[in-house]
Amino acid sequence: MQCNYCERRCDLSGGKPGVCRMYEDADGAIRERFPHHWSSCIPSRIESIPFYHVRPGSRALVIGTMGCNFSCRYCSNAFIAKEDPTLVAERMLRLSPSEVVRKARQMGCGSIVFNVNEPAMSFPSLLELAEAARAEGISLGCLTNAYTTEESTEMLASIFSFFNIGLKGLSPAFNRDFIGITSVEPILRNIRRLAATRHVEVTTPIIESINDNELGEMARFLADVDPEIPWHVFRLLPEDEMKESCYPDIETIAGALESVRSILPYVYFHNFVGSEWVNTHCPGCGALVIERFSLGCGGDKLKSFHCAGQGCQDCGRQIRLAGDVECAWKHGEVQR
Amino acid sequence: MSRAIIDAREWQKVFDLRTGTAKADTSPLDQMVRAVQERHPYPGDLDSAGNRWVTDTALDLMERYDPSFVFLTYAQQYFSGRYSIQTDADRAAAVTAVYEEVERFVAQSGFTPLIVGTGGMIPLLASVDLTRLDGLALCTHWSARYAGLHDPSPRDLRTVASHPEIERIVTREEFLSLFRDCPADAARIPEYLLVARQGCMFKTVGGAFRKVRKVPAPGYSIPVSACLEEVSDSTDVRAAVEKRLRNGRVALIFVEGLGVEDFPWPYRAIDNGREWFFYETGDAQYLTVTTGRHQVFEYPVGYRYFEEDGPAMEFPFSGYFRSVPEDAIAASFGGRSIAVGNRSMFMHMATGADISLECFARNLYNQGTMAVIHRSDKA
Ligand code: SF4
Repeated sequence: MQCNYCERRCDLSGGKPGVCRMYEDADGAIRERFPHHWSSCIPSRIESIPFYHVRPGSRALVIGTMGCNFSCRYCSNAFIAKEDPTLVAERMLRLSPSEVVRKARQMGCGSIVFNVNEPAMSFPSLLELAEAARAEGISLGCLTNAYTTEESTEMLASIFSFFNIGLKGLSPAFNRDFIGITSVEPILRNIRRLAATRHVEVTTPIIESINDNELGEMARFLADVDPEIPWHVFRLLPEDEMKESCYPDIETIAGALESVRSILPYVYFHNFVGSEWVNTHCPGCGALVIERFSLGCGGDKLKSFHCAGQGCQDCGRQIRLAGDVECAWKHGEVQR
Repeated sequence: MSRAIIDAREWQKVFDLRTGTAKADTSPLDQMVRAVQERHPYPGDLDSAGNRWVTDTALDLMERYDPSFVFLTYAQQYFSGRYSIQTDADRAAAVTAVYEEVERFVAQSGFTPLIVGTGGMIPLLASVDLTRLDGLALCTHWSARYAGLHDPSPRDLRTVASHPEIERIVTREEFLSLFRDCPADAARIPEYLLVARQGCMFKTVGGAFRKVRKVPAPGYSIPVSACLEEVSDSTDVRAAVEKRLRNGRVALIFVEGLGVEDFPWPYRAIDNGREWFFYETGDAQYLTVTTGRHQVFEYPVGYRYFEEDGPAMEFPFSGYFRSVPEDAIAASFGGRSIAVGNRSMFMHMATGADISLECFARNLYNQGTMAVIHRSDKA
């Protein structure tokens, strides 16, 4: 029995666990082992997640489950993503889809965003959640590594209306040694696919001297997908197996990023406190249109918003923004 | 203008503490503090070197600023107790390690130490899951024993009333009347405060997912240095410190996660709350000691903290704090003061010290250090 949710395409026959340990063979059907078990249910500024171009200034309910199909050496959520799900299941929150939606409403969240681990690990629960959220007019977004099969990428597109996709590196050696996958091709394919019909932002954690040499190539790939795709370059926070590594040098990476700004207009560099590379400038006239503040692990936040609707206040050029922009930044989303 | 200097390792930046606006300040005082930060990268909350960092950083800063009052926080043993599997021997070793660090500080600085244990820790026995209530239950401030309950349904009230691990259900009015002498914005206080039984902690939405091993022990009494003979309540500590500051140099030292059962110095047990309420280790307890008055309602446990977190919020580096407390101990002290600690980023607010140097870590993620300079005029 093969699981086709992600490109691992694990053989689950005979009780085999699969890489993520989140599915099982139930008489010839793939069954989710821990449906509606949530590791997180927490209100967050949407910029913290990060989404910089979706409902700026709004509050989202961040949810997650457990398990992952990647084995990134620097995982910052290893205590959820890499743990044996059987061992952590007992600590999880058990909330039905309607309960999750109610929590989002109670905490004034206009969207629900799947973060923490990988949505492909919990497809059946997320399909049900999407239905409940849709009925309440709440949109769903996610962070994903996009290592899904073509069929399940369509499922992602049916569940979520906005994405932040992790593009961690391009070279086969990097993907093998640091992520534990054989090829980046499915991820590139899925970025293309999702960006065609959904709002997509991309995040790349940078490890100095390991994948910073690929910044230009990644930028060119992204620009080819969508010349205005927002790109978050993260300073790697050494965690998990890389705990003893050095923190990447901020000025070096910021310098390297200068050359890609001519390729992509929305390039950000953050994941450290006080970053000055978190603002959005109008690609037309260069005016500051969205100002943010970064607290690193404490999350980012909107500081000021200078668009008229979805356009630059100065020149009127359209700024890439998804969702109900005015409502979100002006009034917050407090709806008791 | 108070300034925050962020050191994200090999990269520093100065900000206005209130607005978060970047500054280009390069005063000699800033330069001195920046150099201290550069020399002392924070090893991390769970790292065994975390407490050594406090002593080393404080001594370095003192050598350059020459303060008369020093406020220190040692918290490594609190973090490791909360999140690591510890045998009794591990725990004893952690207590010995922090004892040695404090003693090293005292020996090298020559300051008179006044030490406060913030309360002991006991193994977590059970979690009380409040996530499926119709209303909204919230824990804040790393609280284990307390949760706020908002908009409960009749069914919720029946559920919590019959829950075996819930010790007490306190209405807003009851809570306010217990601390009727404290100013309060009643609207910010949850309709009900739920109190868990000993060894239990609440599980609510908004909580962190890391596995908790230990929670605060019943902390009706906490230990302070035995020499503080006139002190019987946590609100008395401030006056006792001020009295001693008139005659010499004093270090007020918070040692987190240590209660009367394992405090390694001669001590007096003092009250740490009122009637059924005791402070867990955290910003309210710090504020109570440093201001000399109870501080339960300033940032009440279980409040809807996220509603105040909009673009207009000031003091973006200061956690829950929305203003600098004017009457914190160091703020009203005429001599020079510093604060150094490895427990979160509220010490600069809770103490009002001229210069504070803290770790910048959230949920155990280490992002460097932050120094806050409230006063440049004493340099
Ligand atoms: S979703 Fe899990 S079980 Fe299915 S193919 Fe991917 S890693 Fe394997």
